[in-house]
Amino acid sequence: MPLAQTATSVPVTIDDAKCIADKGCTVCVDVCPLDVLRIKELADGTKTAYMKYDECWYCMPCEADCPTGAVTVTIPYLLK
Amino acid sequence: MTAIFEDFSDIDDLAEGLDDPSPGARIMAVIELADSADPDAIPHLARAITDTDAGVRKQAAQALTDFDGPETAAALVDALSDPEAEVREAAAVSLTELKDPASGDAILPHLGSQDEFVLTACLAGIKELRRPEAMEPAIAALASPSQVVRVQAVGVMGWLQDEASLPALCGAARDPEIPVRKAALLALGFSSSEAAQAALAAGLQDPEWQVREAAAETLAKSGGSGCVAALTGALADDFWQVRLKAVRSLGRLGATGAAMQIGPMMDLPIPNLRKECAAVLGELAVPETRRFLDPYADDTDPDVRKNVRWALDRIAAA
Repeated sequence: MPLAQTATSVPVTIDDAKCIADKGCTVCVDVCPLDVLRIKELADGTKTAYMKYDECWYCMPCEADCPTGAVTVTIPYLLK
Repeated sequence: MTAIFEDFSDIDDLAEGLDDPSPGARIMAVIELADSADPDAIPHLARAITDTDAGVRKQAAQALTDFDGPETAAALVDALSDPEAEVREAAAVSLTELKDPASGDAILPHLGSQDEFVLTACLAGIKELRRPEAMEPAIAALASPSQVVRVQAVGVMGWLQDEASLPALCGAARDPEIPVRKAALLALGFSSSEAAQAALAAGLQDPEWQVREAAAETLAKSGGSGCVAALTGALADDFWQVRLKAVRSLGRLGATGAAMQIGPMMDLPIPNLRKECAAVLGELAVPETRRFLDPYADDTDPDVRKNVRWALDRIAAA
């Protein structure tokens, strides 16, 4: 699996302002069947989810189950 | 999902998170309470569904999907009047997941609601609980100007399967709206009474094909002597979808007398219909229909070929 070391254009993006990972939420990480999401600590000490491995199936539960609507999955045009 | 892997604290400890000043922390408390799958969490979730934050209320409405009983139902019914649409919709979805008939105690008083959304959600919620007390309010709801209310009202009667609802269902089968007529005809399947048969036969003459399709499908469940003649007439319908259901119903009824009308339909250029005709001709196993099947043993459609060969084997063994 390719490892994203820096911020790149990935299909799953998380709105840090909405993400409640620092409250202990790991819903998106738990529901991902490919286990490609992780929680990271930001510079200000808060936590947020991010896409660590670029292997998305576009199955969507991370977006659908996020309790705050912080996750967005961008589906490539040809898959729509 | 994670309940079996985590060592949860006492429910009251988890519920303390509902008092956290951060909405995100309160959402997490709701998720943890839901994951506990402990019925003791219900009162806490019922409190969370009245939280000041809409996100927390929505999460609580979704979390109550995993629970059942009058207390859960009461909290969800209250949430149907929430100022936020996302909370109302989550509560309406959770209401349809209730399975305990006792949950109906909290829904029944709201079956006379003047609010279209509340009434629709309550009718949808009480449907599968099969509470006989829901019959009268459901019949009254057929007078609603809203077609979604009328469809749900018909659904309640369909689940109750009580002959007392037949006049109302037969009336709904003549509703001006297609979804209501279709739902009413599908709901009539439980009855083999003359009234139900007449309504279903009349449904086969409906100007809308979706309604005729529902009538053709339901006639097989209703049964009765008049069904075969009505369904044989539907074999000439303009829409192949109606013909397909009529063929399938004739097969279920074992209508060997209709086999010679079904046979020539193998020549129609619609693979779905040929597949169904072949299956039904196999079910009926009338030797004279072999000549309709023989030319299609090597049909271009694999499903048709499979059914034709199976039908020919059945006829040969008959």
